[in-house]
Amino acid sequence: MKSRVNLAPMLEPRSVAIIGASTHPEKVGNVILQNFINEGYTGKLYPINLNADQVLGIKAYKSVRDVDDEVDLAVIAIPAEEVPEALEECGKAKVKTAIVVSGGFAETGLVDLQEKITKIAVKYKIAMVGPNCLGVINTKSKVNTMFLPSNKLSKQHEGNVSFVSQSGAVGSTILDVIAGEGFGLAKFISYGNAAYVDEVDILEYLMNDDDTKVIVLYLEGIKRGKEFVELARKITKIKPVVVLKAGRTSAGVAAAHSHTAALAGDYAVYEAIFKQFGFTIAKDLNDLLYYAKIFDSEVRPKGNRVGVITNGGGAGVITADEIASSKYLKMGAYTDSTKKTLRKIMPPLVNIANPLDLAGDADEKRYGSALDLVAADKNIDMIVVIILYQTPGADPEVTAEVVNKKTTLPKPLLVISLGTDYTLKQAKELESKGVPVYDSPIAAIDSLEALFEYSEYKKSES
Amino acid sequence: MPLLDYMQAKKLLARYGIGSIDSKYISSADDAVKFANGSKIVMKLISGKAIHKSREGLVKLGLESSEEISAAYNYLAKRGKKLRPFKVLAQKMASDGIEIIIGGNTDKQFGKMLLVGLGGIYVETFHDVQLRLCPITRKDALNMLSELKSGKVITYSGKATERIVALLLNVSRMLATNPKISELDLNPVIVRPDSYDVVDIRILE
Repeated sequence: MKSRVNLAPMLEPRSVAIIGASTHPEKVGNVILQNFINEGYTGKLYPINLNADQVLGIKAYKSVRDVDDEVDLAVIAIPAEEVPEALEECGKAKVKTAIVVSGGFAETGLVDLQEKITKIAVKYKIAMVGPNCLGVINTKSKVNTMFLPSNKLSKQHEGNVSFVSQSGAVGSTILDVIAGEGFGLAKFISYGNAAYVDEVDILEYLMNDDDTKVIVLYLEGIKRGKEFVELARKITKIKPVVVLKAGRTSAGVAAAHSHTAALAGDYAVYEAIFKQFGFTIAKDLNDLLYYAKIFDSEVRPKGNRVGVITNGGGAGVITADEIASSKYLKMGAYTDSTKKTLRKIMPPLVNIANPLDLAGDADEKRYGSALDLVAADKNIDMIVVIILYQTPGADPEVTAEVVNKKTTLPKPLLVISLGTDYTLKQAKELESKGVPVYDSPIAAIDSLEALFEYSEYKKSES
Repeated sequence: MPLLDYMQAKKLLARYGIGSIDSKYISSADDAVKFANGSKIVMKLISGKAIHKSREGLVKLGLESSEEISAAYNYLAKRGKKLRPFKVLAQKMASDGIEIIIGGNTDKQFGKMLLVGLGGIYVETFHDVQLRLCPITRKDALNMLSELKSGKVITYSGKATERIVALLLNVSRMLATNPKISELDLNPVIVRPDSYDVVDIRILE
């Protein structure tokens, strides 16, 4: 399949024209230009403004055609009815890609206006994203077309997870949450009405993008079913795709129709196709992050046997219940030699079993030696470490020890930890060092199972 | 979407290695007795206007004596007058087994979809079905069965599982190579470890 469009100039542009770069700080075009400056974007910036010679201290042009340079990306933030002309100018100026952030097209019933700009984009071979979208972020190349107040939307750090969202509102919400997660963002693409560039083009780009290790996708509908399937067959053999499809019920579908003017198909069919081609299905917005987190840690399990280490008996049992009642995972049984060594080094109050309850006074030494032994056990494929920081022994040293062990561990490991201030601080530290932390056994085991399922899919396809 | 004639549908299935139970249209009570030839039969009224045949009392099961057969034929012929055009189909009675449904549908976005689930009267009660895009692989077929809530009931023996997997692969092949089939219902298909019977067929073109 040959790509219809090339999105590289959009996400790694050497030059960006901002059409509608106003001198008024509350205008979208001004905010976007300010963003590029604030982010430290190092390419060329060309504000396009009919009335001003300069915007934010940068020389402005009346038309993109006046710019004496190749323009890789035009960000268009002007009223909908002016977009066709601006896009036509882009075409004549041989602009390679465009993001139309402006709304007021098919989503408000103006289907003809949307068709008009699509025709212009096709005619001039401009890879056009939008209209009615937030555009893109590339944390590496410092491209950021978000026009949302920076005090409300936290900044994402560089990472391996790329996020694609048809909806702008879901997009910005998840982006804000991602900013607080340990894993970072590689790229974000919000594509709104998908008048030209659609989910298939974007997924194809991210499939081949070396900076993207995990793809998170929020979908309302798919426009090109056959092409989507063709891509779906390939993409999950390369990297995991976590998908949340809105419109599971007919109530949800009605909302999707009026929302982005997308055609939401029958959810059962979507679900079948996602399963068939190894996508990881999220049922809630939170799942997107839970799954992204475990996939980002990269280590893949060799089997389905879980070992649980805990400093709280109850939490251990709840987690074991969750594992035992899951579809694919099971509690592993330690080898005799593991049991023997554990018995030798653990204090008598520690019952040598799975879950391994290290007791409330467990410190970093106890966690460390338990982790060493369980990790080395050939009957254990994945490790769940429960740290209840409210207990006397659990402190930053336990955190450091888990981080330390995780770095060389050839098996997936996650931490379950619930609490407020103290715990959240430790959780943040763990996550910033690449240890995924969950605040509920259900979310944790669900994510571990998703990781296992994907690994099995990949194995069966290779 | 016209309904494909039952006997033609039966022939189409046979071309893909999908056997269905011995059946024949009958035009008289005598005809039916001759077809039965001493064994138990079923008689059904076939009409485009009747989808839920058993619920509407248009299926007569376990007919053995010539009296039973004649009475059933006369009853169906009378009911048929209100459901014209109609035919009366006689089938050999299938022996017991697990009833499943195998179906096909055309999704306007993605194309031909294959369905499997617990069949017979349970389909509409439990909605326990799995779908996949055609053509499916053997792995897809096994996944469909294992993801059914009733998976363990349906795949109660390795032999039964293999039988259903082979059937699913054949139906998938038929759907993928016949663009004219828009919808398909094989319901029920009665599965036993050593044999199976497709008991009812609906193909919409």
